[in-house]
Amino acid sequence: MLVGIWAIVAVLPLFFGGTDFIMHILIMCLIWSVVASCWDLIMGFAGIFSFGQVAFFVIGSYTSAIVSAGFGVPPIFAVFIAGGFTALVGILVGLPCLKLKGAYIALVTFAVHMILEPVLKGDIGQAIGTGGTRGLLSIDPMTLFGYTFTTASPIPYFYLFFLVAVACSVIILLVIRSHWGTAFLALKDSQEFATCLGVSAFKYKLMVFALTSFLTGMMGGFYAHYVGMLSTRMLGIDLFVTLMVILVIGGVGKFPGAILGAFITIAINELLSPLGPFRPITMGALVVILVLLLPDGIVGLIQKLSRGSRGRLSPKVH
Amino acid sequence: MLRVTQVTKKFGELTAVNNLSFEVAQGQVFGIAGPNGAGKSTVYNLITGLYDFEGSISFKDQNISGMTPHCIARLGIARTFQIPQTFPSLTVAKTVEVGSYFGSQTGFDRGHVNEVLAFVNLADKREAPTGSLNLLDKKMLMIGAALATRPEILMLDEPMAGSNSKEILRLMDLIRRINQDLGVTIILIEHFMKVLTELTQKLLIIETGTEICCGDPREVTSDPRVIECYLGDSHD
Repeated sequence: MLVGIWAIVAVLPLFFGGTDFIMHILIMCLIWSVVASCWDLIMGFAGIFSFGQVAFFVIGSYTSAIVSAGFGVPPIFAVFIAGGFTALVGILVGLPCLKLKGAYIALVTFAVHMILEPVLKGDIGQAIGTGGTRGLLSIDPMTLFGYTFTTASPIPYFYLFFLVAVACSVIILLVIRSHWGTAFLALKDSQEFATCLGVSAFKYKLMVFALTSFLTGMMGGFYAHYVGMLSTRMLGIDLFVTLMVILVIGGVGKFPGAILGAFITIAINELLSPLGPFRPITMGALVVILVLLLPDGIVGLIQKLSRGSRGRLSPKVH
Repeated sequence: MLRVTQVTKKFGELTAVNNLSFEVAQGQVFGIAGPNGAGKSTVYNLITGLYDFEGSISFKDQNISGMTPHCIARLGIARTFQIPQTFPSLTVAKTVEVGSYFGSQTGFDRGHVNEVLAFVNLADKREAPTGSLNLLDKKMLMIGAALATRPEILMLDEPMAGSNSKEILRLMDLIRRINQDLGVTIILIEHFMKVLTELTQKLLIIETGTEICCGDPREVTSDPRVIECYLGDSHD
């Protein structure tokens, strides 16, 4: 399914390459597909109700922008530094979460989201170069082997993000299929039994925090150099809800559902734009209907249909 | 092989295990019995590192007090749970692989996984989702996953609960084979006295976390203190 999705996405510029607006939407779909996939890995597979994904994205984007502007680091390296720094923050956030369960993890991780905006806007933010309430307005564009990517010609940018998204999705798929993925699922299903079989909850929970925050932070870095400006507006509820809708539509714990969900959600969102103020209401209603009709999302439906056609009744397990 | 020394566990005001001491010898089937709420499963949770406690527990002369559950599992102490725990996201084979991959000191061994699946009679259900298994198979799977860690001690928590007489005989046979054929020391929490007297060589009776008596199962089960503990004062 992953190969099929990326094969279709790879040829989309052939149809929409001439329309900058659509190319911009496709690039945003690629970015959100990675962020949502990371959220799915930590929440859907590892069973950790982390609500800090948007915060990690913002931390990564600011870090990359500050590192490239303040220390002259080329953007292509700055994004990896941003990923590393965000992974460190992810581990620090993950440590107290090891002692917590369910809703309490959601509260702790969402607290990181909530305190980030005043930190970035306040004196601390000003001191480290976030631009305070004004934000960052002129972030260096991405350069690679002497070529500078610009939003004026979005096709090269699209394929850069496409390669990054493919690489991230392959990493996530490999993790899910490896013993890491097995450990995540075992800990999600029964932590007591899993630990009594030798699975280290400490190690694997921190690993999933580190990996997902690294990829999310790195993607935030790419985003910063793509849009060229940053503000704390991203920490509003809109992006958070959009990512949640992406997960619900794609199917929680149904990788690569988050990738599919990103393209479908962003497309529906754009198609509903003529509705103006009624768009969020319509979007919300669609999500409610979808949750009721397809609790496992689009991928869950595809799996069900595929099993039905093969005459199998057993649910998809690893 | 396993020595529990003056162990106490309190949950707030409630003392679940009170100054309990016992020793399990290598190759033994050691039984633990007592009325509901006596603290039997809590003892398992203390040995496997799920709870902290006062006192000390040592395994092969190594103090394991304060160790994490996964470290204790890798040392060679495996367990099952009273309410069957499985991984609904995984298949039967994958569940056993978890034990082999993460819990075995010798590392993952696919051949051993297949042997374990055959040993617990689940080879033909290896690709089945664990959620589709019946209660007996879920218990077999728990035991299989625990065996995949190549344990030296296997602690079984009320394996007969909810089983009919046929299933009890099958489980008793399995426990005997684990002990005799595989040489694994067994600690068995059970309510069925017949199972305990037939399988165990030493039986510990506890009530409200305190030892009532410990010794030969036949002598222990005829001890007036044990009869009183199970049937109350009114039996006579």
